[in-house]
Amino acid sequence: MATEESEDHGHFLPAVRDWPRGYGEASWWPFVTAIGLLVVYTGASLYVIGRGTDLVSSSVGLGAFVAGWAVTILGMFGWIYQAFVVDFWDRGSHNGGASLRLGMLLFLGTDIATFGAGFAYYFFIRTGGWHTEYLPESGILTSVLVINTVLLVFSSFTIHWAEGHLQKGNHQRFVQGLLVTLLCGIVFIGGQIYEYYEFIVHEGFTLTSGVFASGFFGLTGIHGIHVSFGALLLAILLVRGLRGHYDADRHVSVTTVSWYWHFVDAIWLFLVAVVYIGSVFGTEFSPF
Amino acid sequence: MAVSPELVFSVLMGLLLLVVAGWLTRLEDWQAYTPVGGGGYGESTGHGHEEKPAGLTRWLTTVDHKDLGILYSLFGIVAFAWGGITAMLMRVELTTPGMDFLASFGGVGLYNALLTTHGITMLFLFAAPLIFGFANYMVPLLVDADDMAFPRINAIAFWILPFATILMWAGFFLPLVGIDIQAAKTSWTLYTPLSSTMQGTGVDVFLLGFHLSGFSTTMGAINFIATIVAERDSVNVPWSKLDIFSWTILTQGGLILFAFPILTAAVTMLLLDRNFGTMFFAGEGGGAMLWQHLFWFFGHPEVYILVLPPMGLVSLILPKFAGRKLFGFKFIVYSTLAIGILSFGVWAHHMFTTGMNPRLTASFMAISLAIGIPSAVKVFNWITTLWNGKLRMTAPMLFSVGFVQNFIIGGVTGVFLAAVPFDLVMQDTYYVVGHFHFIVFGAIGFALFAAMYYWFPIMTGRMYDRRLALWHFWLSIIGGNVTFIAMLILGYGGMPRRYATYLPKFMTWHAVATVGAFIMTFGVVAFVWNIWQSALYGKRVDSGDPWNLKQSDQFSNEWKWYEGKRQTMLADGGEEDADDAERNAAD
Repeated sequence: MATEESEDHGHFLPAVRDWPRGYGEASWWPFVTAIGLLVVYTGASLYVIGRGTDLVSSSVGLGAFVAGWAVTILGMFGWIYQAFVVDFWDRGSHNGGASLRLGMLLFLGTDIATFGAGFAYYFFIRTGGWHTEYLPESGILTSVLVINTVLLVFSSFTIHWAEGHLQKGNHQRFVQGLLVTLLCGIVFIGGQIYEYYEFIVHEGFTLTSGVFASGFFGLTGIHGIHVSFGALLLAILLVRGLRGHYDADRHVSVTTVSWYWHFVDAIWLFLVAVVYIGSVFGTEFSPF
Repeated sequence: MAVSPELVFSVLMGLLLLVVAGWLTRLEDWQAYTPVGGGGYGESTGHGHEEKPAGLTRWLTTVDHKDLGILYSLFGIVAFAWGGITAMLMRVELTTPGMDFLASFGGVGLYNALLTTHGITMLFLFAAPLIFGFANYMVPLLVDADDMAFPRINAIAFWILPFATILMWAGFFLPLVGIDIQAAKTSWTLYTPLSSTMQGTGVDVFLLGFHLSGFSTTMGAINFIATIVAERDSVNVPWSKLDIFSWTILTQGGLILFAFPILTAAVTMLLLDRNFGTMFFAGEGGGAMLWQHLFWFFGHPEVYILVLPPMGLVSLILPKFAGRKLFGFKFIVYSTLAIGILSFGVWAHHMFTTGMNPRLTASFMAISLAIGIPSAVKVFNWITTLWNGKLRMTAPMLFSVGFVQNFIIGGVTGVFLAAVPFDLVMQDTYYVVGHFHFIVFGAIGFALFAAMYYWFPIMTGRMYDRRLALWHFWLSIIGGNVTFIAMLILGYGGMPRRYATYLPKFMTWHAVATVGAFIMTFGVVAFVWNIWQSALYGKRVDSGDPWNLKQSDQFSNEWKWYEGKRQTMLADGGEEDADDAERNAAD
């Protein structure tokens, strides 16, 4: 995008093919996205008001919450589509994707802090007066946990494998690798839902079951949201890959998404070690 | 779930609003009162090709860093008004010991709500957005980038802010239309168990808005770092030539990156505690201490998030009017980075009186005292920059010098508070309030005023009214010092903070503080009037170098860009004059 005009800031045009069309520095998508978020948070507010008072029914809030997410996702989709996807092969690469790669690294930095706050809570209670009655009755280490962990680690290898084949110019292997990675991610999410189901319905171990439950559902929940978001990103990569995007030289989003995926995998391993194993280590539940 | 009539109604209302909004954007006449002179020159009034749509649509759709910088600044000034009005309501109430002035409007409860919103607004909606406004406009120019690294994320980050603000202020306005939710009365620190058990959904609505606003700041920080690191023109602006303001914005970005997500996560936990029965901050769980640790692990870096860029602004502006290069440039950069790193190791100095382990308090005291060293390095560098300089006492210069004066008082009182034995006596008194107001208004506010006057010609193409700016300065520095020194004295006397009523013995100094606050208010009115009038009707700047910076060889990148832009405009056929004539006719 660095054109011969780039000396003059007034004529730099970051949004040529955008909505509204025909301008260079105008896009509705950011505004749409922000409106979506406003509706999401207003919906959440209405939900809370609905629960606390009889001014509105909290289902109105839930409806707005869901509708808001739909608008937000529409806005983000429009933004990413018109900024990066629509003329992928014509637009050339802006500073070799350096900004985008750095942007992902910085985002992952913020994510370390986000998870850090949750882990801080968990360490706080784990090192305090710790009771095994905080844990679900039949224990926290299940076969689902083992399968999920294996799947997620395996998927880190498959996305690496896919990226490697892309760099060697083998587009078909790349797409296959992405597909396998995505499937692993989806099965992982399914496993997580099954684990929650078992805990909540059969064990009565819910969000309100005490101090460990708060940390457990908080941390695995935010991780699950990250995996789901990662699966969405992988799905976008896959669709774009099937449409012929990416080659050995142009694959910034493949790189950034794979970083994200490795990061989520690493967080999971830490989580398994600290929250699952760490919660029973040294107690009568410990299998070790 | 059955589709309720309310839901259908809401959706229909939403659609209607969209239609109205769409219709409004087509009203091209909005151009006639484009705020702040339309970012310099009406880009939309015709060159060869148009880059931006006309009217309101331009402002809603813009992804241009300069437009967004102006929007951020306007938003910051609106928030400043709300923060200022709430402060004045409190100051008037505090003129007398009892509950008088606010008694018929909501009494102590209203006072507590005003206290909360004043703190939150000034820190998160005034100071931070105004810093982002200047950084948005200037950093891409200073580092010779085309735009911000992610122009659309930049726009999303801005638009989130006013929307979040609606929710954060809703507790004050919804009761006026009959929706009785209570505004948050938690103080800006939101300490549990008060904040986790306080009745009223207004607290939740506020927390949700606060949560949303955090995303805006984080997105902005990522964008600034990526812009300075990856979009910088590495030939014209290598690291060795990066200006001091961009250095501080870079450091600020690093702090935001690790501080704000902690706050967002902690607020999420608080919301879950309040609404879904989790036990993050319940007595058996993390309790009150965990909240304080998490909050101040965010909260102390937040202090430097707010003060480092203003320090950068002063370091940038002082040399321009002293006719000398910034003394010890490298040391200012190093001290900025040092403060940035140390700032994550001092949080528990807010918690000396909580009964923490004394070994911990001693180590936090040591690091807190150590952070005084890089701060003092900066002060001495500013003073030596002025030494033997050819000083030109323009409004930006006056505010920069005022910054140094206020920062010395605010900083030295802070060094005292960092010492455990002193803090044990002064914790939760007006001494603390006086200390941080010297920093937040006296330093941060002053630097932002300096930047506003310094870059006013670039952002509006016009000059501010010098006489009003001098009024603004003198009223602010006198009023500020009167108010905040009175607060320090009240603190020595033992006046606890956050109270709406007090013992009669404190009345004299409270009255002094209120008088000072009124003096400041007159200064602020002069400021807002000046900015508004000058942006619309001020004298046109007649050169690309209104500050004569070429003389001292300090004609920096943003002014070079401005001069180039002026030349392009003149070559395009002097539409300035036509624009002016139109305005004169309208008068």
